[in-house]
Amino acid sequence: MILWNRVLVGVDGSDHGLNAVRYLAAVLGGSSNCKVRLLAVHVPIAADDPALAQDRKTRDIERRITLEERLLEAHRLLVEARVAQENVTSELVEADGSRGVGEVIMEAQREGGYGTVVVGRRGLSKAEEFLFGSVSNTVVHRATDCCVWVVG
Amino acid sequence: MGRKLDRVRLITDTSQFMDLMLGDVVEMEGHRFLIKGVTYEGRFGLDEEPKHWVKRAVDWETGEAKIIKLVFYEEFDLPIGKLKVRCYRSPAKEARILELVKDHPHFMHGQTLRDLKGNIVRVLDIVHGGPFERNLANLAADHQAYYQGHLHRVLQKLLPAFEGIGYLHGQGQRHGDIRRDHLFDCADSGLMRWIDFDYNFEFHENPYGLDLFGLGNVLCYAVGRGIPTLPELKRERPEVLNDLDTGDLSLIIPNRVFNLKRIYPYIPEELNRVLMHFAASATVFYERVTEILADLRLAMGTLPQAQEDAE
Repeated sequence: MILWNRVLVGVDGSDHGLNAVRYLAAVLGGSSNCKVRLLAVHVPIAADDPALAQDRKTRDIERRITLEERLLEAHRLLVEARVAQENVTSELVEADGSRGVGEVIMEAQREGGYGTVVVGRRGLSKAEEFLFGSVSNTVVHRATDCCVWVVG
Repeated sequence: MGRKLDRVRLITDTSQFMDLMLGDVVEMEGHRFLIKGVTYEGRFGLDEEPKHWVKRAVDWETGEAKIIKLVFYEEFDLPIGKLKVRCYRSPAKEARILELVKDHPHFMHGQTLRDLKGNIVRVLDIVHGGPFERNLANLAADHQAYYQGHLHRVLQKLLPAFEGIGYLHGQGQRHGDIRRDHLFDCADSGLMRWIDFDYNFEFHENPYGLDLFGLGNVLCYAVGRGIPTLPELKRERPEVLNDLDTGDLSLIIPNRVFNLKRIYPYIPEELNRVLMHFAASATVFYERVTEILADLRLAMGTLPQAQEDAE
Protein backbone atom coordinates (compact mmCIF):
# COMPACT_ATOMS: atom_id res chain seq x y z
CA MET A 1 0.00 0.00 0.00
CA ILE A 2 1.34 3.40 -0.98
CA LEU A 3 1.29 5.94 1.85
CA TRP A 4 1.81 9.63 1.16
CA ASN A 5 3.60 10.20 4.45
CA ARG A 6 6.28 7.63 3.73
CA VAL A 7 8.89 9.79 2.06
CA LEU A 8 11.92 8.56 0.11
CA VAL A 9 14.68 11.10 -0.47
CA GLY A 10 17.45 10.61 -3.02
CA VAL A 11 20.75 11.96 -1.67
CA ASP A 12 23.79 12.29 -3.90
CA GLY A 13 27.21 13.81 -3.55
CA SER A 14 26.12 17.23 -4.77
CA ASP A 15 24.72 20.29 -3.05
CA HIS A 16 21.54 19.91 -5.09
CA GLY A 17 20.63 16.75 -3.25
CA LEU A 18 21.05 18.57 0.07
CA ASN A 19 18.96 21.47 -1.20
CA ALA A 20 16.15 19.00 -1.74
CA VAL A 21 16.57 17.84 1.87
CA ARG A 22 16.52 21.47 3.11
CA TYR A 23 13.28 22.05 1.22
CA LEU A 24 11.81 18.90 2.68
CA ALA A 25 12.93 19.94 6.16
CA ALA A 26 11.19 23.28 5.73
CA VAL A 27 7.96 21.59 4.65
CA LEU A 28 8.00 18.81 7.25
CA GLY A 29 9.44 20.80 10.15
CA GLY A 30 7.81 19.68 13.39
CA SER A 31 5.99 16.83 11.70
CA SER A 32 5.48 13.68 13.72
CA ASN A 33 3.52 11.60 11.23
CA CYS A 34 5.99 11.38 8.33
CA LYS A 35 8.61 8.70 8.02
CA VAL A 36 11.60 9.73 5.92
CA ARG A 37 14.07 7.36 4.31
CA LEU A 38 17.29 8.94 3.04
CA LEU A 39 18.75 6.90 0.22
CA ALA A 40 22.14 7.29 -1.41
CA VAL A 41 23.17 5.08 -4.31
CA HIS A 42 26.79 4.29 -4.87
CA VAL A 43 27.63 3.19 -8.40
CA PRO A 44 31.09 1.62 -8.49
CA ILE A 45 33.35 2.84 -11.26
CA ALA A 46 33.95 0.06 -13.75
CA ALA A 47 37.53 -1.11 -13.34
CA ASP A 48 37.92 -3.86 -15.86
CA ASP A 49 41.48 -2.91 -16.75
CA PRO A 50 44.18 -3.65 -14.19
CA ALA A 51 46.27 -0.63 -15.11
CA LEU A 52 43.48 1.70 -14.01
CA ALA A 53 42.07 -0.36 -11.19
CA GLN A 54 43.95 1.26 -8.32
CA ASP A 55 43.06 4.79 -9.36
CA ARG A 56 39.40 3.81 -9.73
CA LYS A 57 39.36 2.04 -6.39
CA THR A 58 40.68 5.18 -4.69
CA ARG A 59 38.06 7.35 -6.37
CA ASP A 60 35.38 4.83 -5.51
CA ILE A 61 36.29 4.99 -1.83
CA GLU A 62 36.27 8.80 -1.95
CA ARG A 63 32.82 8.81 -3.54
CA ARG A 64 31.49 6.43 -0.96
CA ILE A 65 32.82 8.55 1.86
CA THR A 66 31.22 11.64 0.31
CA LEU A 67 27.87 9.88 0.10
CA GLU A 68 28.10 8.76 3.73
CA GLU A 69 28.90 12.34 4.79
CA ARG A 70 25.95 13.67 2.79
CA LEU A 71 23.61 11.18 4.39
CA LEU A 72 24.73 12.28 7.85
CA GLU A 73 24.29 15.92 6.87
CA ALA A 74 20.81 15.26 5.45
CA HIS A 75 19.85 13.41 8.62
CA ARG A 76 21.07 16.32 10.75
CA LEU A 77 19.09 18.85 8.67
CA LEU A 78 15.85 16.96 9.16
CA VAL A 79 16.34 16.43 12.88
CA GLU A 80 17.24 20.10 13.33
CA ALA A 81 13.94 20.93 11.61
CA ARG A 82 12.24 18.92 14.37
CA VAL A 83 11.40 15.87 12.36
CA ALA A 84 11.41 13.14 14.99
CA GLN A 85 14.73 11.35 14.97
CA GLU A 86 13.08 7.94 15.13
CA ASN A 87 11.23 8.77 11.90
CA VAL A 88 14.39 9.36 9.86
CA THR A 89 16.43 6.46 8.54
CA SER A 90 19.37 6.37 6.13
CA GLU A 91 20.73 3.83 3.73
CA LEU A 92 23.63 3.66 1.33
CA VAL A 93 23.04 1.05 -1.34
CA GLU A 94 25.45 -0.36 -3.87
CA ALA A 95 24.30 -0.44 -7.48
CA ASP A 96 25.75 -2.91 -9.92
CA GLY A 97 26.32 -0.40 -12.70
CA SER A 98 23.80 -1.96 -15.04
CA ARG A 99 20.99 0.34 -13.87
CA GLY A 100 20.86 4.05 -13.38
CA VAL A 101 20.56 5.70 -9.98
CA GLY A 102 17.01 6.79 -10.81
CA GLU A 103 15.99 3.21 -11.46
CA VAL A 104 17.45 2.09 -8.14
CA ILE A 105 15.57 4.87 -6.32
CA MET A 106 12.29 3.89 -7.95
CA GLU A 107 12.85 0.24 -7.16
CA ALA A 108 13.27 1.22 -3.51
CA GLN A 109 10.10 3.29 -3.80
CA ARG A 110 8.08 0.33 -5.03
CA GLU A 111 9.53 -2.10 -2.53
CA GLY A 112 9.08 0.26 0.41
CA GLY A 113 5.65 1.57 -0.61
CA TYR A 114 6.80 5.18 -0.43
CA GLY A 115 4.10 7.65 -1.46
CA THR A 116 6.43 10.59 -1.94
CA VAL A 117 9.82 10.71 -3.62
CA VAL A 118 12.07 13.75 -3.30
CA VAL A 119 15.10 14.38 -5.51
CA GLY A 120 17.25 17.38 -6.32
CA ARG A 121 17.86 18.68 -9.80
CA ARG A 122 21.37 19.56 -10.87
CA GLY A 123 20.26 21.85 -13.67
CA LEU A 124 21.86 19.94 -16.51
CA SER A 125 21.77 21.46 -19.94
CA LYS A 126 19.63 19.76 -22.57
CA ALA A 127 22.76 18.44 -24.23
CA GLU A 128 24.04 16.93 -20.98
CA GLU A 129 20.67 15.44 -20.23
CA PHE A 130 20.53 13.81 -23.65
CA LEU A 131 24.06 12.43 -23.57
CA PHE A 132 24.35 11.42 -19.93
CA GLY A 133 20.80 11.15 -18.66
CA SER A 134 19.33 12.69 -15.54
CA VAL A 135 18.31 11.05 -12.27
CA SER A 136 15.35 13.39 -11.71
CA ASN A 137 14.14 12.72 -15.25
CA THR A 138 14.33 8.98 -14.74
CA VAL A 139 12.47 9.25 -11.45
CA VAL A 140 9.70 11.34 -13.00
CA HIS A 141 9.37 8.97 -15.95
CA ARG A 142 9.28 5.83 -13.80
CA ALA A 143 6.83 7.16 -11.21
CA THR A 144 3.41 5.59 -11.53
CA ASP A 145 1.94 5.39 -8.05
CA CYS A 146 3.57 8.14 -6.07
CA CYS A 147 4.13 11.85 -5.92
CA VAL A 148 7.54 13.16 -7.01
CA TRP A 149 9.07 16.39 -5.79
CA VAL A 150 11.89 17.63 -7.96
CA VAL A 151 13.68 20.42 -6.13
CA GLY A 152 15.72 22.67 -8.40
CA MET B 1 54.94 -18.67 -44.96
CA GLY B 2 58.28 -18.81 -46.72
CA ARG B 3 60.28 -17.92 -43.61
CA LYS B 4 61.83 -20.17 -41.06
CA LEU B 5 60.56 -19.56 -37.54
CA ASP B 6 64.07 -19.75 -36.08
CA ARG B 7 65.06 -16.68 -38.12
CA VAL B 8 62.38 -14.41 -36.71
CA ARG B 9 61.93 -12.75 -33.36
CA LEU B 10 59.30 -14.63 -31.39
CA ILE B 11 57.38 -12.29 -29.14
CA THR B 12 55.42 -13.70 -26.22
CA ASP B 13 55.01 -10.47 -24.23
CA THR B 14 53.30 -7.72 -26.25
CA SER B 15 53.37 -5.07 -23.52
CA GLN B 16 55.92 -2.96 -25.39
CA PHE B 17 53.91 -2.74 -28.59
CA MET B 18 56.10 0.02 -30.01
CA ASP B 19 58.94 -2.51 -30.18
CA LEU B 20 57.02 -4.98 -32.31
CA MET B 21 58.46 -4.70 -35.78
CA LEU B 22 57.65 -5.83 -39.25
CA GLY B 23 58.65 -9.51 -39.49
CA ASP B 24 58.28 -10.29 -35.78
CA VAL B 25 56.10 -13.22 -34.85
CA VAL B 26 53.72 -12.90 -31.91
CA GLU B 27 52.86 -16.10 -30.13
CA MET B 28 49.79 -16.35 -27.91
CA GLU B 29 48.04 -19.43 -26.60
CA GLY B 30 49.66 -21.58 -29.27
CA HIS B 31 48.74 -19.26 -32.15
CA ARG B 32 51.39 -17.39 -34.13
CA PHE B 33 50.99 -14.21 -36.14
CA LEU B 34 53.52 -12.57 -38.42
CA ILE B 35 53.55 -8.79 -38.02
CA LYS B 36 53.17 -7.00 -41.36
CA GLY B 37 52.95 -3.40 -40.22
CA VAL B 38 50.86 -0.88 -38.33
CA THR B 39 47.45 0.53 -39.13
CA TYR B 40 46.66 4.20 -39.53
CA GLU B 41 44.04 6.36 -37.89
CA GLY B 42 41.22 6.97 -40.34
CA ARG B 43 39.55 9.65 -38.32
CA PHE B 44 38.87 13.05 -39.74
CA GLY B 45 42.09 14.79 -40.63
CA LEU B 46 44.34 12.23 -38.95
CA ASP B 47 44.75 9.90 -41.90
CA GLU B 48 48.47 9.51 -41.52
CA GLU B 49 48.60 8.99 -37.76
CA PRO B 50 49.94 5.49 -37.09
CA LYS B 51 48.19 3.37 -34.47
CA HIS B 52 51.17 1.46 -33.12
CA TRP B 53 49.05 -0.73 -30.88
CA VAL B 54 47.03 -1.97 -33.86
CA LYS B 55 49.10 -4.18 -36.16
CA ARG B 56 48.45 -5.72 -39.51
CA ALA B 57 49.36 -9.37 -39.31
CA VAL B 58 49.06 -12.76 -40.93
CA ASP B 59 48.10 -15.99 -39.22
CA TRP B 60 51.27 -18.09 -39.40
CA GLU B 61 49.34 -21.33 -39.95
CA THR B 62 46.56 -20.30 -42.30
CA GLY B 63 48.03 -17.28 -44.05
CA GLU B 64 44.86 -15.36 -43.28
CA ALA B 65 45.22 -11.60 -42.84
CA LYS B 66 44.34 -10.32 -39.39
CA ILE B 67 44.31 -7.13 -37.40
CA ILE B 68 45.92 -7.47 -33.99
CA LYS B 69 44.89 -5.00 -31.32
CA LEU B 70 47.40 -4.91 -28.51
CA VAL B 71 46.76 -3.56 -25.06
CA PHE B 72 47.05 0.21 -24.94
CA TYR B 73 45.66 1.92 -21.88
CA GLU B 74 44.84 5.56 -22.31
CA GLU B 75 42.38 7.76 -20.52
CA PHE B 76 41.36 11.14 -21.84
CA ASP B 77 38.60 13.72 -22.15
CA LEU B 78 36.71 13.12 -25.37
CA PRO B 79 35.33 16.42 -26.68
CA ILE B 80 31.75 16.13 -27.91
CA GLY B 81 30.56 19.51 -29.03
CA LYS B 82 31.07 21.79 -26.06
CA LEU B 83 31.02 18.90 -23.60
CA LYS B 84 33.81 16.63 -22.53
CA VAL B 85 33.41 13.00 -21.63
CA ARG B 86 35.97 11.06 -19.61
CA CYS B 87 36.86 8.14 -21.80
CA TYR B 88 39.27 5.24 -21.60
CA ARG B 89 40.27 2.34 -23.79
CA SER B 90 39.19 -0.99 -22.43
CA PRO B 91 40.58 -4.13 -24.09
CA ALA B 92 38.45 -6.16 -21.67
CA LYS B 93 35.29 -4.44 -22.84
CA GLU B 94 36.09 -5.04 -26.49
CA ALA B 95 36.89 -8.67 -25.73
CA ARG B 96 33.55 -9.03 -23.95
CA ILE B 97 31.68 -7.64 -26.93
CA LEU B 98 33.62 -9.77 -29.42
CA GLU B 99 32.47 -12.84 -27.54
CA LEU B 100 28.92 -11.52 -27.42
CA VAL B 101 28.70 -10.79 -31.16
CA LYS B 102 30.72 -13.70 -32.51
CA ASP B 103 27.70 -14.87 -34.51
CA HIS B 104 26.18 -11.47 -35.16
CA PRO B 105 26.37 -10.37 -38.81
CA HIS B 106 26.53 -6.64 -38.05
CA PHE B 107 29.74 -6.54 -36.03
CA MET B 108 33.37 -7.21 -36.71
CA HIS B 109 34.49 -10.63 -35.55
CA GLY B 110 37.58 -11.94 -33.89
CA GLN B 111 38.99 -13.86 -30.98
CA THR B 112 40.71 -12.79 -27.81
CA LEU B 113 44.05 -14.32 -26.90
CA ARG B 114 46.31 -13.65 -23.95
CA ASP B 115 50.05 -13.36 -24.25
CA LEU B 116 52.39 -14.68 -21.58
CA LYS B 117 51.94 -11.52 -19.51
CA GLY B 118 48.17 -11.88 -19.60
CA ASN B 119 47.61 -8.96 -22.00
CA ILE B 120 44.19 -9.12 -23.62
CA VAL B 121 45.01 -9.17 -27.33
CA ARG B 122 42.21 -9.05 -29.85
CA VAL B 123 42.83 -10.85 -33.13
CA LEU B 124 40.33 -9.46 -35.60
CA ASP B 125 39.12 -10.72 -38.95
CA ILE B 126 39.55 -8.18 -41.71
CA VAL B 127 36.31 -6.41 -42.57
CA HIS B 128 36.44 -6.00 -46.33
CA GLY B 129 34.77 -2.86 -47.57
CA GLY B 130 34.86 0.70 -46.42
CA PRO B 131 33.10 3.24 -44.24
CA PHE B 132 29.40 3.23 -44.99
CA GLU B 133 29.31 6.66 -46.52
CA ARG B 134 32.10 5.88 -48.97
CA ASN B 135 29.79 5.06 -51.85
CA LEU B 136 26.98 7.47 -51.08
CA ALA B 137 28.55 10.27 -53.09
CA ASN B 138 28.63 8.10 -56.22
CA LEU B 139 25.04 6.96 -56.05
CA ALA B 140 23.46 10.00 -57.67
CA ALA B 141 24.35 13.37 -59.10
CA ASP B 142 22.46 15.43 -56.57
CA HIS B 143 20.58 15.00 -53.31
CA GLN B 144 17.14 14.89 -54.87
CA ALA B 145 18.17 12.06 -57.19
CA TYR B 146 19.77 10.30 -54.20
CA TYR B 147 16.55 10.73 -52.23
CA GLN B 148 14.35 9.50 -55.08
CA GLY B 149 16.43 6.54 -56.12
CA HIS B 150 18.62 5.39 -53.26
CA LEU B 151 17.77 6.61 -49.76
CA HIS B 152 15.18 3.89 -49.13
CA ARG B 153 17.74 1.20 -49.94
CA VAL B 154 20.45 2.89 -47.88
CA LEU B 155 18.17 2.99 -44.85
CA GLN B 156 17.14 -0.60 -45.46
CA LYS B 157 20.78 -1.55 -45.04
CA LEU B 158 21.28 0.79 -42.13
CA LEU B 159 18.36 -0.35 -39.97
CA PRO B 160 19.69 -3.86 -39.24
CA ALA B 161 22.98 -2.29 -38.12
CA PHE B 162 20.99 -0.07 -35.75
CA GLU B 163 19.22 -3.20 -34.51
CA GLY B 164 22.69 -4.60 -33.81
CA ILE B 165 23.38 -1.71 -31.44
CA GLY B 166 20.01 -2.37 -29.82
CA TYR B 167 21.08 -5.97 -29.30
CA LEU B 168 24.27 -4.77 -27.63
CA HIS B 169 22.35 -2.50 -25.29
CA GLY B 170 20.00 -5.36 -24.48
CA GLN B 171 23.06 -7.25 -23.25
CA GLY B 172 24.11 -4.33 -21.04
CA GLN B 173 26.95 -3.29 -23.36
CA ARG B 174 27.54 -0.22 -25.48
CA HIS B 175 29.57 0.37 -28.58
CA GLY B 176 31.13 3.51 -27.15
CA ASP B 177 32.40 5.12 -30.33
CA ILE B 178 29.65 5.18 -32.91
CA ARG B 179 30.65 7.25 -35.86
CA ARG B 180 30.34 6.78 -39.55
CA ASP B 181 33.86 5.50 -40.13
CA HIS B 182 33.19 2.79 -37.56
CA LEU B 183 30.35 1.41 -39.66
CA PHE B 184 31.62 -0.58 -42.60
CA ASP B 185 29.70 -1.39 -45.75
CA CYS B 186 31.00 -4.88 -46.44
CA ALA B 187 31.92 -5.69 -49.98
CA ASP B 188 31.34 -9.44 -49.63
CA SER B 189 28.06 -9.65 -47.72
CA GLY B 190 26.55 -6.28 -48.54
CA LEU B 191 25.85 -5.90 -44.83
CA MET B 192 26.84 -3.01 -42.59
CA ARG B 193 29.09 -3.95 -39.69
CA TRP B 194 30.24 -2.04 -36.64
CA ILE B 195 33.93 -2.02 -35.84
CA ASP B 196 36.11 -0.74 -32.98
CA PHE B 197 34.32 -0.91 -29.67
CA ASP B 198 37.10 -0.54 -27.12
CA TYR B 199 36.07 2.89 -25.83
CA ASN B 200 34.47 2.86 -22.44
CA PHE B 201 33.20 5.56 -20.12
CA GLU B 202 32.54 6.05 -16.49
CA PHE B 203 29.00 5.50 -15.35
CA HIS B 204 26.26 7.78 -16.64
CA GLU B 205 22.63 7.81 -15.64
CA ASN B 206 21.79 6.95 -19.24
CA PRO B 207 24.57 4.53 -20.22
CA TYR B 208 23.43 4.47 -23.84
CA GLY B 209 23.11 8.20 -24.52
CA LEU B 210 26.45 8.48 -26.28
CA ASP B 211 25.61 5.59 -28.57
CA LEU B 212 22.25 7.17 -29.41
CA PHE B 213 23.99 10.43 -30.20
CA GLY B 214 26.27 8.53 -32.59
CA LEU B 215 23.32 6.81 -34.25
CA GLY B 216 21.67 10.20 -34.77
CA ASN B 217 24.75 11.45 -36.56
CA VAL B 218 24.98 8.37 -38.77
CA LEU B 219 21.30 8.62 -39.61
CA CYS B 220 21.47 12.31 -40.42
CA TYR B 221 24.49 11.65 -42.62
CA ALA B 222 22.62 8.92 -44.47
CA VAL B 223 19.50 11.00 -45.01
CA GLY B 224 21.35 14.14 -46.05
CA ARG B 225 24.20 12.34 -47.79
CA GLY B 226 26.34 14.34 -45.45
CA ILE B 227 25.41 16.59 -42.55
CA PRO B 228 25.20 20.16 -43.78
CA THR B 229 27.11 22.63 -41.66
CA LEU B 230 26.44 26.32 -41.33
CA PRO B 231 29.73 27.37 -43.00
CA GLU B 232 28.99 25.07 -45.95
CA LEU B 233 25.48 26.43 -46.35
CA LYS B 234 26.71 29.98 -46.10
CA ARG B 235 29.12 29.25 -48.90
CA GLU B 236 26.97 27.09 -51.13
CA ARG B 237 23.31 27.73 -50.35
CA PRO B 238 23.05 31.02 -48.48
CA GLU B 239 19.36 31.33 -49.35
CA VAL B 240 18.41 28.53 -46.92
CA LEU B 241 20.02 30.24 -43.94
CA ASN B 242 17.05 32.59 -43.65
CA ASP B 243 14.78 29.65 -42.92
CA LEU B 244 16.98 28.20 -40.21
CA ASP B 245 17.01 28.91 -36.52
CA THR B 246 19.05 27.51 -33.65
CA GLY B 247 16.42 24.86 -32.94
CA ASP B 248 17.19 23.31 -36.33
CA LEU B 249 20.79 22.60 -35.37
CA SER B 250 22.28 19.58 -33.67
CA LEU B 251 21.70 19.61 -29.92
CA ILE B 252 25.28 18.61 -29.30
CA ILE B 253 27.29 20.07 -32.20
CA PRO B 254 25.56 23.32 -33.03
CA ASN B 255 27.04 24.03 -36.43
CA ARG B 256 25.42 20.94 -37.93
CA VAL B 257 21.95 21.25 -39.37
CA PHE B 258 19.63 18.40 -38.40
CA ASN B 259 16.39 19.87 -39.69
CA LEU B 260 17.11 18.62 -43.19
CA LYS B 261 13.60 19.41 -44.39
CA ARG B 262 14.55 23.07 -44.33
CA ILE B 263 17.26 22.31 -46.87
CA TYR B 264 15.63 19.47 -48.78
CA PRO B 265 11.88 20.19 -48.60
CA TYR B 266 10.91 16.87 -50.21
CA ILE B 267 12.10 14.90 -47.17
CA PRO B 268 8.94 13.50 -45.55
CA GLU B 269 7.84 14.86 -42.21
CA GLU B 270 7.92 11.35 -40.68
CA LEU B 271 11.62 10.97 -41.43
CA ASN B 272 12.53 14.52 -40.53
CA ARG B 273 10.79 14.09 -37.18
CA VAL B 274 13.23 11.32 -36.29
CA LEU B 275 16.16 13.64 -36.98
CA MET B 276 14.57 16.41 -34.95
CA HIS B 277 14.84 14.26 -31.82
CA PHE B 278 18.57 15.04 -32.04
CA ALA B 279 18.09 18.74 -32.69
CA ALA B 280 18.39 21.62 -30.25
CA SER B 281 14.62 22.16 -30.31
CA ALA B 282 13.90 18.58 -29.17
CA THR B 283 11.81 18.31 -26.04
CA VAL B 284 11.76 14.53 -25.95
CA PHE B 285 14.88 12.45 -26.46
CA TYR B 286 15.22 8.89 -27.58
CA GLU B 287 16.33 6.68 -24.71
CA ARG B 288 16.41 3.34 -26.52
CA VAL B 289 17.41 2.18 -29.99
CA THR B 290 14.05 0.46 -30.29
CA GLU B 291 12.36 3.87 -30.16
CA ILE B 292 14.43 5.15 -33.07
CA LEU B 293 13.79 1.99 -35.03
CA ALA B 294 10.03 2.14 -34.50
CA ASP B 295 9.89 5.69 -35.84
CA LEU B 296 12.26 4.90 -38.70
CA ARG B 297 10.22 1.93 -39.85
CA LEU B 298 7.17 4.16 -40.05
CA ALA B 299 9.17 6.76 -41.95
CA MET B 300 10.46 4.17 -44.41
CA GLY B 301 6.93 3.73 -45.68
CA THR B 302 6.87 7.33 -46.82
CA LEU B 303 10.06 7.15 -48.88
CA PRO B 304 10.14 6.59 -52.61
CA GLN B 305 11.51 3.21 -53.60
CA ALA B 306 13.78 2.61 -56.55
CA GLN B 307 12.08 0.74 -59.40
CA GLU B 308 14.04 -2.49 -58.86
CA ASP B 309 13.32 -2.45 -55.11
CA ALA B 310 9.62 -1.95 -55.62
CA GLU B 311 9.34 -4.90 -58.01
